[in-house]
Amino acid sequence: MPRRLAVALSAIALLVAPTALVACGGDDEPDNQAATGSKTEQLQKGVTLTLWTMPNSPKPKEDLQKMVEPFTAKTGVKVDVQEVGWDVQFDRIRNAAVSGEGPDVTQAGTTQVPFFAALGGFMDLSDRVEDIGGKDAYAEGIWNTTQVQGQDGTWAIPWFTEARSLYYRKDVLEKAGVDPATAFKDLDSFKATLQAIKEKVPDIEPFGAPGKKAYDLVHQVMPFVWDNGGAELSEDASKSTINSPEAQAGVQFMADLIPEGLFDKSQLERDGTQVENQFKGGRLAVWIGGPWVLGSIERPEDDTWDETARENVGVAPMPTGPQGEAYTFVGGSDLMIFKHTKYPNEAWALVKFLSEDQTQIDYAELLGMFPARLEPQQQVGESSENHKAFFEAIQSGRTYAPIPQWGQIENAYKTRFGNILDSAAGVGKAYSEATVKAQLDAAAKEADGLLAQSAG
Amino acid sequence: MAQTTVQPPPEAGSARVLPSRAGRPRRSAERSRTRFAYWLIAPAVAFMVLIHLLPTTAGFLLSFKRLNTFTFAQLFDAPWTGLDNYSGILFDEANPLRSGFFGAVQNTVVYTFWTVGLTLGLGLAIALLLNREMRGMRLVRTLMLTPWIVPSFVVAVLWQFMWQSDVGIINKVLVDYTHLLGERPIWLLGENSMWAIVIPSVWRGIPFAMIFFLAGLQAMPRELHEAAAIDGAGPIKRFRYITFPLLRPLIAIQLLFGVIYAAYQFAIPYIMLGTNPGPDADLMMTLIYRQSFQNNLFGFGAAASTLLMIAMFVWVLVWYRAFKRDLEAVT
Repeated sequence: MPRRLAVALSAIALLVAPTALVACGGDDEPDNQAATGSKTEQLQKGVTLTLWTMPNSPKPKEDLQKMVEPFTAKTGVKVDVQEVGWDVQFDRIRNAAVSGEGPDVTQAGTTQVPFFAALGGFMDLSDRVEDIGGKDAYAEGIWNTTQVQGQDGTWAIPWFTEARSLYYRKDVLEKAGVDPATAFKDLDSFKATLQAIKEKVPDIEPFGAPGKKAYDLVHQVMPFVWDNGGAELSEDASKSTINSPEAQAGVQFMADLIPEGLFDKSQLERDGTQVENQFKGGRLAVWIGGPWVLGSIERPEDDTWDETARENVGVAPMPTGPQGEAYTFVGGSDLMIFKHTKYPNEAWALVKFLSEDQTQIDYAELLGMFPARLEPQQQVGESSENHKAFFEAIQSGRTYAPIPQWGQIENAYKTRFGNILDSAAGVGKAYSEATVKAQLDAAAKEADGLLAQSAG
Repeated sequence: MAQTTVQPPPEAGSARVLPSRAGRPRRSAERSRTRFAYWLIAPAVAFMVLIHLLPTTAGFLLSFKRLNTFTFAQLFDAPWTGLDNYSGILFDEANPLRSGFFGAVQNTVVYTFWTVGLTLGLGLAIALLLNREMRGMRLVRTLMLTPWIVPSFVVAVLWQFMWQSDVGIINKVLVDYTHLLGERPIWLLGENSMWAIVIPSVWRGIPFAMIFFLAGLQAMPRELHEAAAIDGAGPIKRFRYITFPLLRPLIAIQLLFGVIYAAYQFAIPYIMLGTNPGPDADLMMTLIYRQSFQNNLFGFGAAASTLLMIAMFVWVLVWYRAFKRDLEAVT
């Protein structure tokens, strides 16, 4: 009896272990048959398309459902908008692509597209893109997000766009005696501006960025790497170059701001949204952010804004580096059509509708983002000085190599950038040039291992 | 512990006297009773197979597959890779994931040691304090249970805010109010981040340990303590020679579950520190989650999961050998 009791307890204890690694996805082959069909076919009235969207706007499902009402009225094709959280969207889209069970159309982050395309569960839209003006209708960097390097095909259509620019407090710059027109012109003036804020406006932190908890830490660091002539990967995307001297100089430029007292190290404990709220709450003078924050200024119900901060927001393009070029990350979301859809023509008609200039302007305005297409993008860019800064940033924006392993490599870089910023903040290994080099070497080694993955 | 074996029915004894006449009906009655028992446990067995056994087996199978970004769509049809995933983790110096794995193993051991040790130690100490009659004791006991009913998610979110170095209440108390520390420590980064996850885990675990020990203390015969007191044993000696030995079976069971629960901890580090808590607080479960679900290295993740499961199995064997006598003593 005692032995049995002990054995039973052991068995129960072992079974409560969460080993259900395989709980995701199914093992069915995707049903490819429905994905074909002539684009000239008549649309079937009364059918319902399912569209997955992420939390883009304050009421993601309702807002988008309203946005597609004219499409339903015009075509008779109904759209069931379903909201999928950012925390689960990667798993759910991947599983839908593999299992063949899921929506007809989905939103996907621009850097995720190559991975999803590699799963083989999405339609190649190459023979349809001319309907919406083809690649010429988009900025080059944005169109690249629909491709997979080394592979023919167009796997997505750009939907909306964002780029990172510098947000600053006009009132703080005034107190610091810095001219906003030249404050962030290049890396030297950027640092000098932060120094002036530190000395003359002591009640606000000059600058802040999130640490490794943020999903977008790499987007924050890479502009400094690009400015210094570095790159994330070699041109043929076969090797990591994140440990090159140029890349190191860029990473170190950002990390050096911490021991110099220009970068509030407590922000490293926070994620991206929390740091954004620190800027909105008036605790940071300068911060790198996306255009959605501009949209939130006008929303009185957004009570994360400190009123002085809300009234004094300025936006400047990212500073130029030693080579005279200014770079920033450009991203956003694309639309992808699943191969398993029973209604490929209707799904394409929906993507076409969402790519119309006016729909793009209306939806981007709701989101505080930019339209993905050039013409409407330009119109939004002309709407204010701050929007103009973002429009310029998008045109000079860079994105990462469109390869299926990019997401994994970004995670590897994020870990090491996080470790470097932590050591600059005085935790972890002592901060030095050698520490930065060691971390970047480790990042490059891991990235090379990930690049070497194969199907065989 | 209660006796759980099904007792033979009273008529079984008399049936032995008349085997020829009553043998068949007795066997038939036993069979039908056994069948009934099987029917009763069938839903639980089916549930266990479906929820635990099948995914565990499938995970084990995947640990021998080259399941990565390029083969994910094939899932169980992905190419066999033999023991490559295991040897890559354990022996391949060139494998970039190897150092992260051993770091996570080390962190998991440290996290488990402190979490289980402090939870049981403090749980026992509080149970001893609360094992007395005084006014308001019921209210105190109820209040002590509060952290237990707070979900892990909420615990992690609350503590994450409390630990923040600039505006968190912990640094406000330590630095601004009491001036115990001169500089504001950063809790959620670097070496401190291990304590930042251990302390909330202990905070949440103490009530369960406390109530478990309190039940054990209250079931103890008072005469033992009274007799020892008459013989001149002080409180420390009474604890050492009476209370502690009698609590050993309860400690054993808490240790078993505590270690397994801590080794599989995910919610608290994940919510407080994100999917990559950094080299000082990356636990096995955060590493497995990150490599499997974010980096699509499902083969690697499945192999790491299997190694963790084997480690837990070894722990159960060690535990069984260590506490065999205690478990026999209580039944």
